[in-house]
Amino acid sequence: MKMSEAREAILGRLRARQTEARQPGVWASQRDFPDLMERFAAALTATGGEVFVEADLAAAVVRLDEVLQALGAERVVATQEAPLDGLDLPARLPVFVWNVAGEDRDGWRAFCSRADVGVSGAEAALAETGTVVGQSGAGRSRLATLLPPVHVVLLPEERLVSDIFAWAARGEGLPASVTLISGPSKTADIEQTLAVGVHGPRRLIVIGYR
Amino acid sequence: MRVTTRDFRRDAAATIADSHLQVALETATGHFRDGRVAALAELPDAEALRDHLKAVRAATIARLADHLETFERHAVAAGAQVHWARDGAEAAQIVTELARARGVTLATKSKSMATEEIHLNAALAAAGVTPVETDLGEWIIQLAEEPPYHIIAPAIHKTRDQVAALFERETQGPLANDDIPTLTAIARRELRQRFLDAGMGISGGNIAVAETGSIVLVTNEGNGRMVTSLPPVHVAVIGIEKVAPTWDDAAAWLALLARSATGQPLSIYTTVVTGPARAADLDGPEEVHVILLDNGRSRLLDTKYAEVLECIRCGACLNICPVYREAGGHAYRSPYSGPIGAVITPLLFGLEAYPALPQASTLCGACQDVCPVRIDLPRMLLALRADEVARGQAAPVEALLEKGAAFVLAHERLLRWGRRALAVGQQPLVAGDQLRVPAAVNPAQERRLPALAPRSFHELWAELEDEDV
Repeated sequence: MKMSEAREAILGRLRARQTEARQPGVWASQRDFPDLMERFAAALTATGGEVFVEADLAAAVVRLDEVLQALGAERVVATQEAPLDGLDLPARLPVFVWNVAGEDRDGWRAFCSRADVGVSGAEAALAETGTVVGQSGAGRSRLATLLPPVHVVLLPEERLVSDIFAWAARGEGLPASVTLISGPSKTADIEQTLAVGVHGPRRLIVIGYR
Repeated sequence: MRVTTRDFRRDAAATIADSHLQVALETATGHFRDGRVAALAELPDAEALRDHLKAVRAATIARLADHLETFERHAVAAGAQVHWARDGAEAAQIVTELARARGVTLATKSKSMATEEIHLNAALAAAGVTPVETDLGEWIIQLAEEPPYHIIAPAIHKTRDQVAALFERETQGPLANDDIPTLTAIARRELRQRFLDAGMGISGGNIAVAETGSIVLVTNEGNGRMVTSLPPVHVAVIGIEKVAPTWDDAAAWLALLARSATGQPLSIYTTVVTGPARAADLDGPEEVHVILLDNGRSRLLDTKYAEVLECIRCGACLNICPVYREAGGHAYRSPYSGPIGAVITPLLFGLEAYPALPQASTLCGACQDVCPVRIDLPRMLLALRADEVARGQAAPVEALLEKGAAFVLAHERLLRWGRRALAVGQQPLVAGDQLRVPAAVNPAQERRLPALAPRSFHELWAELEDEDV
């Protein structure tokens, strides 16, 4: 078979030319921040993201309501992951038309395509770079955080780690998709001039709580 | 195709004479240079991290077969299909066959130098598949039918007006406005529909992480997420050298990639694909294919050029290079321009085809200084020049001149008499204390050579010695 022929040819050539080498050890990152949430907020704000820091989850939900109202949102898609899964947002904030991940599998893509806002949690967040980490899996979605023009994240403080090295060391297997998001979608491809929202969300709003 | 020094000089001279291009080049590369310096200064241990990544890359390249097999095993375990391609034609054939078998007529692409390298778009078009580039800069140059100008910023040479004209043609209607937010919004609207309609998403890969079988993609616009999330089939084409054995290695790579490229701490989106959508996933591709592309890379292993395989494609060497900054990207006539392009283009596509590129350097060493993995590009540029001479590829006139010079320098009396003869013979070409170099060998008149002095150092020294005695 031709495919395996190419495989054998390439690996054969590489193997014939391999030399001894020892891989260096793990990088000992020096990054350490006294207040992870503070650093996270500063770093994300610098890339054009917006951050609110609330005292607790209840205050974060109030803030979410205010943010959605201020955006003039009508249709909202939301994932069903911590901390959203216990909140029953459609009942709490009934002025919006909600589509929650898992309720209508066939219509999901269309919901995400039409939604004004996507609301999600975050698997982790990196303080150094102001990055939220989203994953695929049950109750989660690639499209809810990608297709709507605004992405809102509810982020509990305990999910914050210092930097990408701390995240890389988490020691778990990976789901099919992981996305590290460090700001709103942007480009400088025309005359080096910054423009936001070229393909992904124009606005990234993180509501952190302690 | 053959890119001679004459071709390079002609293209470079045209770019140097174009004041718009000179401003665009200096603005873009200056912005990237300043960004890089600031982003590295923000790290407490940037220099040590560069040394660490260098060690990681060198050790990985030395044992590439092992790491590729580990990658393949884990990618397959995650449900991805791994293909191997010896050259561009083989890689393009794998993609077109996948498209044909699934009835794909539209493919969206995120920016990928590997697919530029193998001319995948032409192969797709020939197979009846319409490829649509979705990185804004890459879409602009696709509409303009041009190769990329810079490995991370393909359309830096295009003005807003030129982009507006291209978009008007593409959307078949006058634009309401030609400001940059409007142009960006047009790209968002036009390409969004294509993302939704495409039967295949094609990407490159910044990193292949062996320990999990993952492909890592970085983008700022989000198009990398689109092409890996919306179409039912995702195909990633990645050079075999871009393996990171572990996630810790990948983290070091990512920590330096965007900082070296654009001065960002991280690109806006870092997308990690580990096989197709799982049973519980609501969205995502049904199939993920990874094409491991050799195309001349494996034969560099265990040679004096193996170090070039450590490159992480950040583009920092382009931004610092005094030749790239004046000559521009198109003079190299390769998808890879600048110092890294001057080395890998002849190595991958043949020194016979690109004799000009190893010469397109002042050997100032700035590229090595800014390289996140400190690749010794000047050493390899010199080695390539030596290869040209060894293969008898150097211009006959140049070889004759070099041989003549060696002979004269070995015979002191000849040197003295020759110098005196030239000091007189040069007179018709001297203006002031400068030599006017004929336009045939100095088309942009950028070279300024001093005339030979009336009396040589030797002669002056001899007089001084007489005085002392």
